[in-house]
Amino acid sequence: MDAEINLVPFIDLLSCCISFLLITAVWTQIAGLQVSSSGGPPEPQQKQEQTVDLKLLLTEKGYQLTMPGAAVEIPKVTSAGGGAAFDRRSLADKLKTLKTSLPDQSAITVQPEDAVAYDDLVSTVDICLGEQLRNVTVAPLN
Amino acid sequence: MAIVEPGKRPGPRIEQSRVFSKKFARGKKNGYAGLMLTSLVDMFTIIVIFLLMNFSANGEVLYMSKDIKLPDAYHGAQLERAPVISVSGDAVTFDGRQVASTDELVKGDVLNVPELEDALRDERRRYETIHAQDLEHPFRGLVNVQADRKIPFKVIKRIMFACNQSGFGNINFAALAKEGEGPRKVALK
Repeated sequence: MDAEINLVPFIDLLSCCISFLLITAVWTQIAGLQVSSSGGPPEPQQKQEQTVDLKLLLTEKGYQLTMPGAAVEIPKVTSAGGGAAFDRRSLADKLKTLKTSLPDQSAITVQPEDAVAYDDLVSTVDICLGEQLRNVTVAPLN
Repeated sequence: MAIVEPGKRPGPRIEQSRVFSKKFARGKKNGYAGLMLTSLVDMFTIIVIFLLMNFSANGEVLYMSKDIKLPDAYHGAQLERAPVISVSGDAVTFDGRQVASTDELVKGDVLNVPELEDALRDERRRYETIHAQDLEHPFRGLVNVQADRKIPFKVIKRIMFACNQSGFGNINFAALAKEGEGPRKVALK
């Protein structure tokens, strides 16, 4: 009754699995933020009457959220490094408030200035997507 | 008759016993040292489970480069396979082939990038030729753009214009996928 299981083939199998998984492992997870360019075909919205033409400008002073008849400025804040940075938290709060009042709104046009870094653009698009504004269009400001 | 060493000798039954035969064993010892394989198998199993959790069937969609540090994103979707435009501080590459210099794109005033547009048009033609009979996979104009986090929008703008001119209207900005609450953590970093 003292039969021993032969572990050698099992160890061989595990070694092969580990080698395969190590070779094919993806260590960095890349995400994609889908946007439309300004000349592309616009995504159709289901309830056009309950949405507004929402634009988010990225300038050297900060964010500027505009819609017909209203505009909100979100100035840059001092970052931990000492430089001026876009106030992403305030933008998220403003978009959340806007989304509450316009639940059907899903389109927004992001318009950065030429000097705006890719990091800031991606963060802004990310915030918009996070606040359920799924149809993000990127267009140049000037 | 065989010559045997004088002294105690076990009987045949005792000689075959695992426990009692050792008492009578003399002279050379057994050369086989038993390895404890159980802990090794345990470790291997843990490693396999860890690697399986990290396993992705999609593989690498982008060419990761040392020159390109991607920004973080908290609400991104999984990247689909599509042509990749990479923008580092030095060069703009399309599927690994250099098509323009980043400095040129920063300095220039015009929007178009002829080399990139040609490459994209070729890609579109190739896709449409391959999928001419395949109605389930029509051309969607999807392109992945990966750029270093410090690249100015002026360069991105020209690349987007080139994509647009070539019929690639759906642009995926690549970023490092992060877990968490997004803006709450991103702000003031």
